[in-house]
Amino acid sequence: MTSPRLEPWEVFRQEKDGAPMQHGGSVMAPDRELATHYARELFGRRQESVRLWVVKRADIVDLADQDLLQPPLDRSFKKPGGYVMRDKLAAARVVSGQSKPKARSK
Amino acid sequence: MSVAAVPGVAVGELLRSMADDEFVIGFSDSEWTGIAPQLEEDVAISSLAQDEIGHAAALYALLGELTGEDPDAIAYDREPVAYRHCRLLDHRRGDWAMTIARRFIYDTADGVRLEALAGGSWAPLADLVGKLVREERYHRMHASVWLDRLACGGDEARSRLLAALTTLGPDAATVFSPLPDEAALIEAGILASPMPELETRWRTAIGPTFATLDLPMPPPARDLAHGRLDHGEAFAWLWHEFNTVRASEPGVTW
Amino acid sequence: MTDPQALEPILGPLERRRPAFNDDLPHDERFALFEAHVTAGGKVEATDWMPDEYRTAVLRFVEMHANSELMGVLPEREWLMRAPTLRRKLALTAKVQDEVGHAQLLYRVAEDLGKPREAMFEDLLAGKTKFHNVFHYPTVGWADVGMIAWLVDAAAIVAQQALRDSSYAPYARTMRKICWEESVHIMHGRDVVVTMVMGSEAQRAAIQDALERWWGPLMQMHGPRSPREKDRDLHWKIKARTSEELRQEFLTIYVPRIRELGLVIPDPVLELDDATGVWRYSEPDWDELRRVVTNHGPMSQVRLEFRRQARDATKWVRDTILAAPQAA
Repeated sequence: MTSPRLEPWEVFRQEKDGAPMQHGGSVMAPDRELATHYARELFGRRQESVRLWVVKRADIVDLADQDLLQPPLDRSFKKPGGYVMRDKLAAARVVSGQSKPKARSK
Repeated sequence: MSVAAVPGVAVGELLRSMADDEFVIGFSDSEWTGIAPQLEEDVAISSLAQDEIGHAAALYALLGELTGEDPDAIAYDREPVAYRHCRLLDHRRGDWAMTIARRFIYDTADGVRLEALAGGSWAPLADLVGKLVREERYHRMHASVWLDRLACGGDEARSRLLAALTTLGPDAATVFSPLPDEAALIEAGILASPMPELETRWRTAIGPTFATLDLPMPPPARDLAHGRLDHGEAFAWLWHEFNTVRASEPGVTW
Repeated sequence: MTDPQALEPILGPLERRRPAFNDDLPHDERFALFEAHVTAGGKVEATDWMPDEYRTAVLRFVEMHANSELMGVLPEREWLMRAPTLRRKLALTAKVQDEVGHAQLLYRVAEDLGKPREAMFEDLLAGKTKFHNVFHYPTVGWADVGMIAWLVDAAAIVAQQALRDSSYAPYARTMRKICWEESVHIMHGRDVVVTMVMGSEAQRAAIQDALERWWGPLMQMHGPRSPREKDRDLHWKIKARTSEELRQEFLTIYVPRIRELGLVIPDPVLELDDATGVWRYSEPDWDELRRVVTNHGPMSQVRLEFRRQARDATKWVRDTILAAPQAA
């Protein structure tokens, strides 16, 4: 009888309510049920997580293609850093005679 | 129910039996720490053993409140003959199949016992039972998962499981050994049903699983009346081990 | 209207460009790019290309660490059954469990570098790979349990904290988790020691005796002094600090804490040179260290044999249900 072999299952954990799921590590398990047990043990036995996601490493799509993720042409119009208005605003204040609005307190 | 109204002796016997059960199984299972079949499973069985000791500690603490004794003194400082754990737990750790078989039997039986104590009239015990029930779910999950895998895991796994069930079978139902003055517990609304009824309920609960996996049901317990007395050589060894340091200098703080 | 400043953490530059050495280049070029990346503080992931030298070095380092966690369980395990109070039993079980957990985390890191765990266990038992010196010595009583949990773990944590920024990112991340978990062990150990020191004559004497037996191995634990330039593990930033730096840090933190309990450290030479901030100490017995880590220590063979038997006893479970994969 061929037995299922251990394979890696990745475990993602949530530190507290509302927090994002973060990668914690992996466990070796032959199936979903034992993977769940072991995930709880390695990443939750100290009550350090409020939620766990357990997924077979083989089921994860690993995208690292830099042509897709870091395409070479300028995309600064998609980021705040692509909109530098300091000089334009300074010129506008000169025309309007208004001073720069106070920074909002945090 | 006020402490004055609690049938002290009967409750004491109940608590002692439950605490000793958890203490002994916790000790036995902690023997797997470091040598379990696989690294991940090692961490898992260690958690189960710790949980059992934690439950024992809570039960000894409650007993200590009733009798005025120190919980560690209750746990450690009795002669072997004064322990009240069930004979199911008087076997050596054995192989992995033995441990799983024993855990399955004990966890399912303990589950029925806890159910009969849930919502009882003595609040401190009812509260503790409420917490234990939530922790025990995890234990039953683990035991079921493993019972299934051993029963269906091929010739060697299955034959070892069957051998374990054969060895443990005559002692399985001793979890439901009669308690001294059980009637007082029932009358006081602490225990919902007598032990024989709980044993029946347990058999009904595990019947379908055993049938599906084609495993022999445990027979009626051998010498049920003494099911929590007459501890043998395996416990004598365990008792000696857990007293090694403590007995080396009685009365000091560790 | 969303405040643009609030978006910055999300839309800021990605921390990590995929390193150039992953591109299909001639080996020498890749090696040079990799070396430049690592020496500049760049990190390496399991899926990155690595020169064989780096892969071998990390694997050897992590494997020895994993072996040590696994073998480190054995000296304390004996005392699980003998813990003298319920609370000590819980604490010790949790500690030993953590060690097994650390072994799991570390063997996983090593597995993802390409070596199956069964092969690692075989090599450990055959004496081809090593484990740290301190785990080759006997424990004779409860005082040893306290001493190991306190000072051996302390010496280990000094080393482990320095690994949290290792160039090999999976190892670095594991070390951060391990360090967080280890802090509790040292507290448990120190609590046992202080309790016994404040206890009976016999308890206090047992602690002093344990300190005398463990001091030598502790001083050897971080290894002999070696020149920075010759250390390849430092070059590849697998580790960041030398043996001597670790030993000095251990002494700086723990000598005062040992002395504050009135315990006598069995080294008359041990003293801090106030001018240089450097501890002077009797030269550790490096011959002893060499003998011990090559499995000629007092308990080396006994413990390896114990592991072998435990493994054999549970082989049937692995064969049928928990079978590890063969070589990748």
